[in-house]
Amino acid sequence: MTSVAPLSASPRATYPAAEATPTHPGAIRPVLLTSLRDLQWRIRRFVLAAVATGFVLALALMMSGISNSFSVEVHNTIAALGAQTWLVRAGSPGPFTDPVPLPLRTVAEASRLPGVRRAAPLLVSRAIETTPGASASSDKNVNVLGIEPGRLGSPAVVQGQGLGGGDEIVADESLHLAVGSTVALNGTTFRVVGLTNGITYFAGQPVVFMGLGALNRMDGSSPPVATAVLLDGVPTRTLPGFTALTDSQVRTDLGRPVAQASKTIKLIEVLLWIVAAAIIAAIIYLSALERRADFAVMKAVGTPSWHLFVGLVVQAALLACVAAAIGFLVEAAVAPTSSMAVRLSGADYAAVPVLAVLVGIVASFLPARRAARVDPALAFGAG
Amino acid sequence: MSLLEVSDLTVEYASGGYLIRPIHEFNLSMERGELGILLGASGSGKSTLLSALAGLLRPAGGSIRVDGQEVVGLAGRALTLYRQRGVGVVFQAFNLIPSLSVRENIELVLLTAGYSGHHAHARSEELLGAVDLLAHTRKRPGQLSGGQQQRVSIARALALDPRMILADEPTAHLDYIQVEGVLNILRELADADRTVLVATHDDRLLPLADRVIELTPRKRRTGGPPERRELADGEVLFRQGDEGQLVYAVESGTIQLLREVANGPDEVITEVTSGRYFGELAPLFNLPRSATAKALGQAVVNGLPLDIFRDQMREQGTPVAGPWSAAVEAALLEEGAR
Repeated sequence: MTSVAPLSASPRATYPAAEATPTHPGAIRPVLLTSLRDLQWRIRRFVLAAVATGFVLALALMMSGISNSFSVEVHNTIAALGAQTWLVRAGSPGPFTDPVPLPLRTVAEASRLPGVRRAAPLLVSRAIETTPGASASSDKNVNVLGIEPGRLGSPAVVQGQGLGGGDEIVADESLHLAVGSTVALNGTTFRVVGLTNGITYFAGQPVVFMGLGALNRMDGSSPPVATAVLLDGVPTRTLPGFTALTDSQVRTDLGRPVAQASKTIKLIEVLLWIVAAAIIAAIIYLSALERRADFAVMKAVGTPSWHLFVGLVVQAALLACVAAAIGFLVEAAVAPTSSMAVRLSGADYAAVPVLAVLVGIVASFLPARRAARVDPALAFGAG
Repeated sequence: MSLLEVSDLTVEYASGGYLIRPIHEFNLSMERGELGILLGASGSGKSTLLSALAGLLRPAGGSIRVDGQEVVGLAGRALTLYRQRGVGVVFQAFNLIPSLSVRENIELVLLTAGYSGHHAHARSEELLGAVDLLAHTRKRPGQLSGGQQQRVSIARALALDPRMILADEPTAHLDYIQVEGVLNILRELADADRTVLVATHDDRLLPLADRVIELTPRKRRTGGPPERRELADGEVLFRQGDEGQLVYAVESGTIQLLREVANGPDEVITEVTSGRYFGELAPLFNLPRSATAKALGQAVVNGLPLDIFRDQMREQGTPVAGPWSAAVEAALLEEGAR
């Protein structure tokens, strides 16, 4: 212990004069030092918590994507048909949820209504796509829209060509059909001539466009019928026995079957965020309990209470950030395998870390407050 | 002027609903450069006193002045500054932060006080060099021996160069080789500007001290002379917290034993009637009285030292054979003869 001797005389003498007074009062560095070192100290628990929270956030993100896809597909489908006004039978809630047949002459009558520039028939139906030789479990529900090729209602294709006539169809990419391939719908074989992108409805069910005549034949309707008239323009009056619906009304109609599911998904999304918050809160609370003696010692040697409070909040925010990053990775890996469309925008991705940090801060509030209020006198009994 | 002036210090707290007063009207004065040993048994209030001096608990009354600054009543930033710069504490169980390295444990104190990272680094190196631990700066506390950890704890206490160092049982967890190193440092810490107060129940540390402060008076061989007390209604025989040397036997009347309650009137624990005794624990274990004894109506009690009390119990099965037993008379005669 020979080096101890100077101590009794030295500390004041060797205290550097230039630093005689603190130069960084209120600095955050000691907060970060203790918080980061503690995370390092309990790294296994931190990683486990981050992974668990990350999976929960990935699920929440997917729920959000699925919920988004419901409104996006409604928008895309209605936009693809290009109508400003939709004419349906009076009393019908809309062209998609309750399609009521109407004679084709209605189209000509509607085209003469004041304010209407163009009119075209639309036949809304459904079919089962079957693959020859495959089991029934591989059959897919598809929404089939019958239109008159080249007229209002013809969709823009991203691959191949527009709809001609006869046995041609234009299908959505989500059906995973190639241009030139054939497909059986309700037992009738059709040839794929073009592909659309993102045109689905009723929770991701793909849309197939075909000629009005072909769809009438497939459905066995004779004489041929339509279920709505697409109008370019806004008529100042309507035909007797018919109702003119706006885009917004049709959107409501198309979204109605999944509205309940959408609400449930949003509820699950909220619950998942609560679970994420609970995981973060539990980890931070446990940490606050375990570090009670440390906090008492830190207060005893002059650490202000707010340092302890902020330290735990910083840990919660870091945990949330890492969990958000893991959530992104998990979502990116899992979403493509989902049978339902998951549509997320940049804003959705940006919102997750922000929301996660906010959730982390809220979740850590109580344990952080508990830490800040620890009795420093415990230091004499600590250890 | 003394560096430390403690006047009429009283610390009390509630435990199990009862009011406990481990420090009662305590007085102490220490000069600069002094090393004091605060001696007392477990539970005598050593740690409580250190906590009050360190500004970690608020006393019920009295005054603590350190270098002229009144500590009682400090709050907020002033209290934090006192804890940082006014006093350094060396804890019994070292109490180093396990997730920080040895150096970071010291740097934390400096950074918290607002010093730059550069200065904190230099100062911690300087202090670790002084306690001969420069080779261990990157290690975690758990990788060090008890003596090494205690030296880190001392270096941490010195980080901001406080005027007073408080050490709570600094050798309790150390073997005799480690004890020597720590004692050397503690002795050298008390210099012209700094006062050191060490709380311990280990009287082997006494040669180290400039002065010894006993929180529990050393046990007397005899409990003093017997006494016969005639008490008026409501008269107090002794109070909770008083020192006690005698066991009391009730000759006539009734004595109420009351305990102070944290919030509310005193609670009656029991009533002791003629032929029964009370108050034996304080002289037996050298503890303060744990209750107040008060006459309920007129009463007469005989106060007996422990040895006479034991003799009477052994010979007669009761401490009160008659109004004033022969053994008591004999003891009084013996006392008078001295």
